[in-house]
Amino acid sequence: MDAVEYLDLLLKSLLLAGVYAAMAVGMTVIYGVMKIVNLAHAGFLMLGAYFALEMFQRFHVDPILGSVLALPVFFLFGMAVHWLLIRWLPKSDTPTLASLLLMFGFWLVLQNIAYLIWGNEDQSILTPLTLSSVQIGQISIPKVNLVVFAAAVFCMAVLQIVFHRSWFGRSMRALIQNPYAAQIVGVDDQKTARLTFGLGAAFAGFAGGLLGMLFSFSPDFGRPFLLRSFVIIVLGGLESVSGVALGAILLAILETFGINIPLPVYWHGWSFHYLPPSYQQVIPFALLVVVLLILPKGLSSLFNRKWKAA
Amino acid sequence: MAEPQAETKQNDKILVAEGLEVSYGATQVLWGVSFSVTRGKVTCMIGSNGAGKTTSLNTVAGMLRAKNGRLLLNGDDITSLSPRDRVRRHISLVPEGRQLWPGMSVEENLLMGCFLRQFRPKAHPGLERIYGLFPRLKERRHQMAGTLSGGEQQMCAIGRGLMSEPQLLMLDEPSLGLAPRLVDEIFEFITNIARQGVTILLVGQNVNYTLQISHYGYVMETGRITLEGSTEMLMNNEFVRRAYLGIAEETPSK
Ligand SMILES: Nc1ncnc2c1ncn2[C@@H]1O[C@H](COP(=O)(O)OP(=O)(O)OP(=O)(O)O)[C@@H](O)[C@H]1O
Ligand SMILES: [Mg+2]
Repeated sequence: MDAVEYLDLLLKSLLLAGVYAAMAVGMTVIYGVMKIVNLAHAGFLMLGAYFALEMFQRFHVDPILGSVLALPVFFLFGMAVHWLLIRWLPKSDTPTLASLLLMFGFWLVLQNIAYLIWGNEDQSILTPLTLSSVQIGQISIPKVNLVVFAAAVFCMAVLQIVFHRSWFGRSMRALIQNPYAAQIVGVDDQKTARLTFGLGAAFAGFAGGLLGMLFSFSPDFGRPFLLRSFVIIVLGGLESVSGVALGAILLAILETFGINIPLPVYWHGWSFHYLPPSYQQVIPFALLVVVLLILPKGLSSLFNRKWKAA
Repeated sequence: MAEPQAETKQNDKILVAEGLEVSYGATQVLWGVSFSVTRGKVTCMIGSNGAGKTTSLNTVAGMLRAKNGRLLLNGDDITSLSPRDRVRRHISLVPEGRQLWPGMSVEENLLMGCFLRQFRPKAHPGLERIYGLFPRLKERRHQMAGTLSGGEQQMCAIGRGLMSEPQLLMLDEPSLGLAPRLVDEIFEFITNIARQGVTILLVGQNVNYTLQISHYGYVMETGRITLEGSTEMLMNNEFVRRAYLGIAEETPSK
């Protein structure tokens, strides 16, 4: 491996981190405001991919635009789900078994509806972008990765502005940081929770569309990404948007490098081996176990111990 | 200080609490607590740790539900209103322990005091007003509230409570954990706010100071009001002198 290859891998992991961050951020805001681990996140990701596919095949909408259009559609969908299901859950400061079961059940429902509509064969979204790439020196990068990255970063930036500059954003941060104080000044926790769930679903749908441009998908699509999202938000300290970006970068780098550089193995003496690509799935899992053991409050606890920089 | 004031009339009561009974789960904490707050005056509530003062204020703010008893605001029954509807009626609580948002700037913490839509137009003029009261907050307005000193945090909490221009401001132990110099400063602020005509319900563990800046006081013991009266009367009361002032002058009760 030479320097160019390392640079190539680094660039690829950063591009991947963009979509990973967009994928995980919805889960973070939902967890932060409601203390619900949204297992149905996988279902929203999968539906987002099918949404972009349908928009592309039926209406010839570019899948990037289709993913962006998923934002308002899934926002309304998420609010409806909250209104129909989630608001009946008992309130709690910690995740409850009831909420886990409800979200898991809802995921299964979404998955089975998808099987009914689209069957179980793999789909992919192919556009002219998918097959062309840009050449920077010796490094070649698929255009689709660049476009997906740009869209993800743009929407994350918009979210960050909403989070910090709007009353809705302030009410979310207030509920995350101190729900009692939020109530004292008159924040409507139910309404904020409904909007937050809508926001979480919106970003899941959006990220699902983007992921659908990078990977082939089936109704079971969300599963590995649910695990990744969970790793990212745990790395990010569960409740912080900037933490999500950090967690996404770390996971993407480990995944990309993990299967592309030889790892030292001790077996009757030292030798170097490549991790089989199928083991890529193991990396987030291993990372999750390690993080939960040594950094239960996430990476940000390394930098600030005093407060959650949501 | 308790400057001589005109006799108070019955209909000057801004808040009347009648026979409040409040429980946490199965544990009843308030046992028929009644008190009232006079418009434009400082009313205080003193009592030992665990007596139920914070519980009383949280009940007035709507954070806790009374299972019996009534709360009247200007004669209207507000017993079943949500906390939000009480904020809307200009009741404001500066809670025990400040309860700021540590990862938000001072300015954002203050702005949240005007969170309700009806208050938002006055959010920015409100900031200027608060910065006038507490110039130190203006200097630190972009600093995260979690990094403020204890005294500054208390100013920020009081500022937040004042943002909505409350008709009733409730302060829960505003001097808790502050250095003596800051305690002076905070009580001076409260006196100033009161002079501007804001009605205050004050809970204080610094009994000496609290009585000095109040007009009327209640003594609470294990969930009941055991004594009430003008602050002159309370300061001369044998029981109060022995239980609170005698000790309070040497070491504050917490
Ligand atoms: N969340 C709670 N759950 C259960 N019991 C509580 C809770 N909060 C307070 N209590 C109990 O209610 C009683 C009254 O508490 P409260 O906080 O109202 O007292 P206080 O007069 O404000 O005391 P302090 O001077 O220490 O602030 C105490 O016995 C306390 O243990
Ligand atoms: Mg108290």
